[in-house]
Amino acid sequence: MSDTIVLSLTQAPDYPLVADAIVPDRFATLTAKDIATLPVKHGGRTARVGEFFKVTGERSVSVRLEGGLEKVEGIGTGMACGDLLIDGSTGRDLGVAMAGGRIDVRGSAGDNAGGARPGAASGMTGGEIIVRGTVGDGVGASMRRGLLVVLGEAGRGSGRGMIAGTVVLFGAVGGGAGRFLKRGSIVALGKVERPATFGYACTYRPPHVALLLRYLRARAGVPVTDRHLAGRYERYSGDFAELGKGEILQWVEE
Amino acid sequence: MKINGVAIDDTFAEAFTMRVARIVITGRNMKWAREAALKLTGFATSVIGCKCEAGIEREVAPAETPDGRPGLSVLFLTMDKESLPQQLVVRLGQTVLTCPTTACFDGLPDVPDRLTVGKALRVFGDGFQASKVIGGKRYWRIPVMEGEFLIEETFGMQKGVGGGNFLILADEADHALEAAEAAVDAMTNQPGVILPFPGGVVRSGSKVGSKRYKSMIATTNDAFDPTLRAVTASQVPDGVNSVLEIVLDGTDGPSIEAAMRVGIRAACRTGVRAISAGNYGGKLGPHHFHLRKILA
Repeated sequence: MSDTIVLSLTQAPDYPLVADAIVPDRFATLTAKDIATLPVKHGGRTARVGEFFKVTGERSVSVRLEGGLEKVEGIGTGMACGDLLIDGSTGRDLGVAMAGGRIDVRGSAGDNAGGARPGAASGMTGGEIIVRGTVGDGVGASMRRGLLVVLGEAGRGSGRGMIAGTVVLFGAVGGGAGRFLKRGSIVALGKVERPATFGYACTYRPPHVALLLRYLRARAGVPVTDRHLAGRYERYSGDFAELGKGEILQWVEE
Repeated sequence: MKINGVAIDDTFAEAFTMRVARIVITGRNMKWAREAALKLTGFATSVIGCKCEAGIEREVAPAETPDGRPGLSVLFLTMDKESLPQQLVVRLGQTVLTCPTTACFDGLPDVPDRLTVGKALRVFGDGFQASKVIGGKRYWRIPVMEGEFLIEETFGMQKGVGGGNFLILADEADHALEAAEAAVDAMTNQPGVILPFPGGVVRSGSKVGSKRYKSMIATTNDAFDPTLRAVTASQVPDGVNSVLEIVLDGTDGPSIEAAMRVGIRAACRTGVRAISAGNYGGKLGPHHFHLRKILA
């Protein structure tokens, strides 16, 4: 058993590499050799993890990925526990249908991070994802529970169709954030373009936001400022095209 | 045994096993945290008449509280498991929920026995409430006219100790009160301990039952009433004209002992003739705090 299993990219993929087998809880009982033989899809062709990654360590739910992973997709799919540190950027579908554990991306992530599998009703149902760079479109789409934090810019449709959970966006956010959101919270510390189907409620200091941001600062070193903690937030309820029990909390920069 | 010339009786305080919860109340500033805590712990001196015992344990610095605001921790005790959540729901709902700027957190997060107090209070939100899971804990956001009241969903409950005590026997009432005040000052902010009575001091120590009234479950401790020295089996020594009691509840026996140690030492001052303790012969309560052993 190792403290951490390290997967170092040795062969950069020529095509999108669907690596939904890279899930920490799945590694809990596997040796390095077992992990290396797990299947991946490279350009539609079945391959093995070991063809692209050097695996160091075994039998742990703490996993670190190294290398340029921009073409690697589906990392942490359905993850239920453990810690996954991605020391770089990754492709689309990070942590889709995730149910627990923590993913920390030191770079950026592609579309549909924390979202749903194709055709599924729910995205992530638990756990925490922190992306320290930017994300593509549809981050947290159809999310049911959990926490998703993006420190950089987010693409279009962030939190689209959220059922519950929390998305915290530090950077600018593309259009359509929170569209068709039933419940759940989008906390926007940067500029956000709200759908017209959200209604302004009030400007206040939501106690849970301060609690959440302090937690992120303490646990993950997220660069939360005192202005974020003490600041006021505009509350927009919505999406009234749906259940209307969700919210966008827009930080009021003062 | 004597401390500063004050005799320490060879006796013990007899205390009971109770159920305890620790509530951390935060506010925009200490004023509002204290307002809520004082209301919450009001009329909670003794289970005899109040159904619960509660008090402020200590001030909690912003760096220690979950939301980074000033706070107070409160200990809340009842005699049985069932009544603790009942009392908490009623009292938190009427005092902390109503108090501007406050939020309410569990102070026993590692205790497995959980009381769904926040979950019960959420219905005040009339369906508009919402929950958030932060760091593995669920919180309820209850909309109120001011904004939102935030309360943790569950609170830990563990076995505690109620009824630790000592008696200050003094030559006159002023000296008894000065000694009691000194003891309370010394015991304030002792971790794991509260002093549930007014100012931490009891002037009306009681005995179990009544010699005359069948309906009374507790009546005056006539053995320590100086005015009854001549008409009852008095335990008031010569030269003693006033007796005050300090009652302590806590999370565990060692916490009570530590507080009694500093409290008794502080109470041994001018005019105090002896320190004693209340017990029932050791037959009722499982926790016995022997004064001389504690102070040795």
